Amino acid sequence: MTTPVQHCKECVELLGEYIEGTLPPDRAKALEEHLSTCPPCITFVRTYKATGRLCRSVMKSDMPRELVTSLKSFLGEHVPGFSCTKPDSGPAPSGVAADSGRKKV
Amino acid sequence: MSEPADPIKEEPRADGQPGDKELVERSQKGDGAAFAMLVERHQRQLYRLALRMTGSEADAQEVLQEAFLNAYQKLPLFRGEAQFSSWLYRIAANSALMRLRRKRRAPDALGEQPLELSGPRFSAEGHLEPTSNSDWSQRADERMMSTELGSAIDKAVKELPEDYRTVFLLKDVDGLSNDDIAHALSLSVPAVKSRLHRARLALREKLGEFFDSGAPAE
Repeated sequence: MTTPVQHCKECVELLGEYIEGTLPPDRAKALEEHLSTCPPCITFVRTYKATGRLCRSVMKSDMPRELVTSLKSFLGEHVPGFSCTKPDSGPAPSGVAADSGRKKV
Repeated sequence: MSEPADPIKEEPRADGQPGDKELVERSQKGDGAAFAMLVERHQRQLYRLALRMTGSEADAQEVLQEAFLNAYQKLPLFRGEAQFSSWLYRIAANSALMRLRRKRRAPDALGEQPLELSGPRFSAEGHLEPTSNSDWSQRADERMMSTELGSAIDKAVKELPEDYRTVFLLKDVDGLSNDDIAHALSLSVPAVKSRLHRARLALREKLGEFFDSGAPAE
């Protein structure tokens, strides 16, 4: 028999696993039953999901092209026979790199 | 005595390129071009890991150079018991940690680490308090490109304790798997999931405060 999710607090604790799809089926079912009767938790799920979505949209970071070039140059000096098989295919930089010059380790 | 772990099997790649396993074997025999293909394949994910851990583009650059050079030098020791990418993440994470430790010797480097994470508030019976319950998800989607929202997110993420911030960024922003994050940061998968969940809860509260504060629309 499925143990019910009694309180919002328990619902919130299970949410991470539920959204990832890793919650055991009986717990997922119990959580869904709680959600079907608890509008505050439905709101909570919406805003919980929106948090990751928003952060991803604002903070996504691509490797600057200058860094791709400098890494290739650095490894070319230290790894015998190192050569890239294709031209750099890195994304265009979204901003100016803080220090895009080649660095010695 | 325990048996050595079996080398992992590798599925063929959809793009027809050689798999990591084959490229590693060729690199171990001195094929520099094969190593270059591995670098090209993994450099962006490794850059994100280094950037998230160090918080600095300049440091990330140095971590990346150091990590790939270390990986090349240690390739003869790689036996294929783990994914090459996981092994590589671990090398880069160690390099980033060393760099952070060196920096922390400077006074006040940890001065702004918050001690506690915020989260939703509950009544004694375990019900959500109304303050944790406004639905700003729709408004959030409408204002995704807002500069103010971007600043609020940036600030909220920076205020997370470092261990939580790194896990959150690697998972929710950069899309690494729990396994790769756990391997790179020397954590268990349950610890990764727990930190991720707590970070999301804390950020959700901060974003709720932002939307409820009536910040003007752009």
